Amino acid sequence: MIKIKIKCFSQVKYALGKKELVLVLKSGTTTQEVEKLIRKKANRNLDIVSFSVAVNKKYISKSLVLNDGDEVAFIPPVQGG
Amino acid sequence: MVKVEIINGPIDFFPLNDNRDQDGAEIVFNGRVRAAEYDKIITALEYEQYEDMAESELKKVAEKTVKKFVIHDLFCKHRIGKVKVGQSSLHVVIRSKHRKEGFIAMNYFISALKDRVPIWKWAILEDGTKIPSDCTSS
Repeated sequence: MIKIKIKCFSQVKYALGKKELVLVLKSGTTTQEVEKLIRKKANRNLDIVSFSVAVNKKYISKSLVLNDGDEVAFIPPVQGG
Repeated sequence: MVKVEIINGPIDFFPLNDNRDQDGAEIVFNGRVRAAEYDKIITALEYEQYEDMAESELKKVAEKTVKKFVIHDLFCKHRIGKVKVGQSSLHVVIRSKHRKEGFIAMNYFISALKDRVPIWKWAILEDGTKIPSDCTSS
């Protein structure tokens, strides 16, 4: 098993009502699987929101297998400026 | 030279520099909070960042801009936290030999910032409700 932290921002935070979540998952779980889980937890409130994904504060371009202690963020469209 | 900073509080603007004998252009951009977001009246925006990653991505975007265009300096300050209507949330200074590349670089930098840097806006409505700014129209 692995333990990961999910950081929630903007619409993800709004939909889940939390700044972060800690999840215990089976080894070999991927970011894509966690994204599905997060969307399910949001009760369809994130269905139309697209995400970039960051692992340990770096963007990733394709799904990867998570490691124990990883920090993951599903990043809704950013709005700086 | 590149300088970027994410700050929680009013922006202390970069001083203008009248001693730059190689730069014919000094372009300053201040992004301010408008009184309306998606047709709703607001009193302020609250900027949220992904701590560390926001500044790191901002620096990457600034460095890429300096490499891509013929400019000498790119300085940027971006606020987080509550920013009242009318106040500046973003301050950018670009210095270049000629104005044309400076303006093009400024446009590129701000577009890239809006595409890459993990910062988000929460709209604070007149009744004090705080919602992600994309949801104000719903």
